[in-house]
Amino acid sequence: MPKCLECDADVNLKADVEVGEIVDCSDCGTEFEVRSVDPPKLDHAPQEEEDWGE
Amino acid sequence: MNDQDAVALLRSLCEIYSPSGEEADAVNLLAHRAANAGLKASTDGAGNFIGERGDGPTSVVLLGHIDTVDGFIPPAVRDGRLHARGAVDAKGSLAMFVAATARATIPIGVRVIVIGAVEEEAPTSKGAHYICDRYQPAAAVIGEPSGTSGITLGYKGRCALSLVARQPHTHSAGEGQSVAARAAEWWTRFEEYCVRRNHNRRVFDRVDAHLDEFHTSTDGFTDRADLRGSLRLPPEAPVNELRGRLADLATGWGDVSLDNYTPPFLSDRKNRLVGALIRSIRNASLTPKFKLKTGTSDMNVVGPAWRCPIVAYGPGDSRLDHTANEHVVLDEYLNAVKILTCVLGSRLA
Repeated sequence: MPKCLECDADVNLKADVEVGEIVDCSDCGTEFEVRSVDPPKLDHAPQEEEDWGE
Repeated sequence: MNDQDAVALLRSLCEIYSPSGEEADAVNLLAHRAANAGLKASTDGAGNFIGERGDGPTSVVLLGHIDTVDGFIPPAVRDGRLHARGAVDAKGSLAMFVAATARATIPIGVRVIVIGAVEEEAPTSKGAHYICDRYQPAAAVIGEPSGTSGITLGYKGRCALSLVARQPHTHSAGEGQSVAARAAEWWTRFEEYCVRRNHNRRVFDRVDAHLDEFHTSTDGFTDRADLRGSLRLPPEAPVNELRGRLADLATGWGDVSLDNYTPPFLSDRKNRLVGALIRSIRNASLTPKFKLKTGTSDMNVVGPAWRCPIVAYGPGDSRLDHTANEHVVLDEYLNAVKILTCVLGSRLA
């Protein structure tokens, strides 16, 4: 089970999770991107930008 | 559909001028090209283009729009960029939908439905409202420019505002404030209120007030001021609070109304659709980014009704929307086609 990169808590992954999916730490709420499933590896979720227009 | 065909499709679509309400010729062309590419093509009761591929109980809707704002820009390719009205907003995205749907290995049991909606650029959003109750997709992508590596998750809301103020005619040499001065002060005080309210908030969470028109008139007995503008609204959409503030500032001398409310919409990101986009963008050696937009799109209309995983994705820089310099980099358009092709081959629900 991967660890939260912020608070070191265990991060639960669904059995059918896929690379690219966003998951969060149930302890501190930080969001992560699943970068690998086997072995499980997390990285911080993509940045959020504000953008003009439609 | 190879890259050359995908570029030809986009260029042909841009060659037909299709401002809101005049989309029929562009819809017919797209239906013809989509059918040649293997999609089942038709039009619906609103005049929307519909293209389908795959069969099964699970539907994925790709909702673009085929109308543009006014002002035809003859298509021309210069330095690998297609300059044309609609190249970015949003025929680039719509052509991407058709090309990717034609190319994708669609999973068994999934039907992909491409919709080219009419009148997205008009306040009516006729095409989106027509389809809203006719589909219940498991996942949806809105065709609007996010850039090849961008995934748009939300749009602010919008409403129109107006003030009508009247008071007995005053002589400019007399005492008292003119109706024009009173209305100008009303707007200034509301802007000051917005500045205080927006303090320390990011742009997506701010209330943005825009004054578009200010007219004064008199019939010799009554002086009148008419102001029109709009508000861009954050996710919590404090419409009642704003209406109250605007009315309080005009108590006793002006009538305020807020109309044509479009609610803001912010989608969830923890789902297979977003995961498939992130994975496909990384496979194209790009770094995915989430985007929150200050404008509105058809996501504001269908998002609350469909309640499914939904994002906006499409090639191009939205800062070029509605400008004379509207253009899309063709390599980026083709990259977006490849990325969406991979997404449509994934299990999205």
